[in-house]
Amino acid sequence: MIQPQTLLNVADNSGARELMCIRILGASNRRYAHIGDVIVAVIKEAVPNMPLERSEVIRAVIVRTCKELKRENGMRIRYDDNAAVVIDQEGNPKGTRVLVQSPGIERIEFHKNRLISSRSIIVVDEIMIE
Amino acid sequence: MRIEKCWFCSSSIYPGHGIQFVRNDAKIFRFCRSKCHKNFKMKRNPRKVKWTKAYRRVHGKDMTQDSTFELERKRNRPERYDRNVAENTLKAIKKIDKVRVAREARHHAQRMKGNKVSEMKAAVKELEQSIHMVKAPIALKEDPSLTLPKLKVKVVQPAQAEDQMEE
Repeated sequence: MIQPQTLLNVADNSGARELMCIRILGASNRRYAHIGDVIVAVIKEAVPNMPLERSEVIRAVIVRTCKELKRENGMRIRYDDNAAVVIDQEGNPKGTRVLVQSPGIERIEFHKNRLISSRSIIVVDEIMIE
Repeated sequence: MRIEKCWFCSSSIYPGHGIQFVRNDAKIFRFCRSKCHKNFKMKRNPRKVKWTKAYRRVHGKDMTQDSTFELERKRNRPERYDRNVAENTLKAIKKIDKVRVAREARHHAQRMKGNKVSEMKAAVKELEQSIHMVKAPIALKEDPSLTLPKLKVKVVQPAQAEDQMEE
């Protein structure tokens, strides 16, 4: 349940460290964003000497939320923090590596099937085949 | 589909139940219900929480090592479906369960074995020490044994009461 003013960690190596959500894309008065939704965010903290800088407005897709992700088979998955991956206008990830702890990743793949593209290498610590 | 074990209480998690928590080091904790989940969030150690299987195993209340447990180990290689194998497995599961339950009952009986004897001992001691509670000292002087005194109780005849009711 990400809403404007929510701080999110960044789960890739695009150069941003922390984002603050500004807007949730999809509908005019949309309240909350979940895993797989695209948000507009501003970079609050960035790694020095990278293409992305502080207070830049970018788009991101949410990959981890503290609020449970509900699957149709009844499974509920909860993460430890809120995190997003920086993307550009078309939906391609800005970084080259995405760090995602796996159970939510299939959903991202479904929503933005270009996210897991040949441009990005996915570094996962554990792969679970559902 | 796989029936998982709850991280906290070790009970089986069927599909549609419970929550999985994925920590940032990618370790997955599965919980069967919110009770276990909340205890985990409180940072309780299941080995110290009395109603969990972990506690019971650690404190010797339940069987820990048995050959029936080896047969239930988690296997990660998917098996090619073979009808005979599947049939035999189902039969084996039933039999193994029966054996395991019998062994657990035996373990429990073994654990409870000394109880009757110790209860008798405690009762005898209590009788010796507290005989004055049930037997007056004068009676004790007359009859110094530890047998309890016989009381004579008058029984009211119920027939008279019934006659009155009938009228």
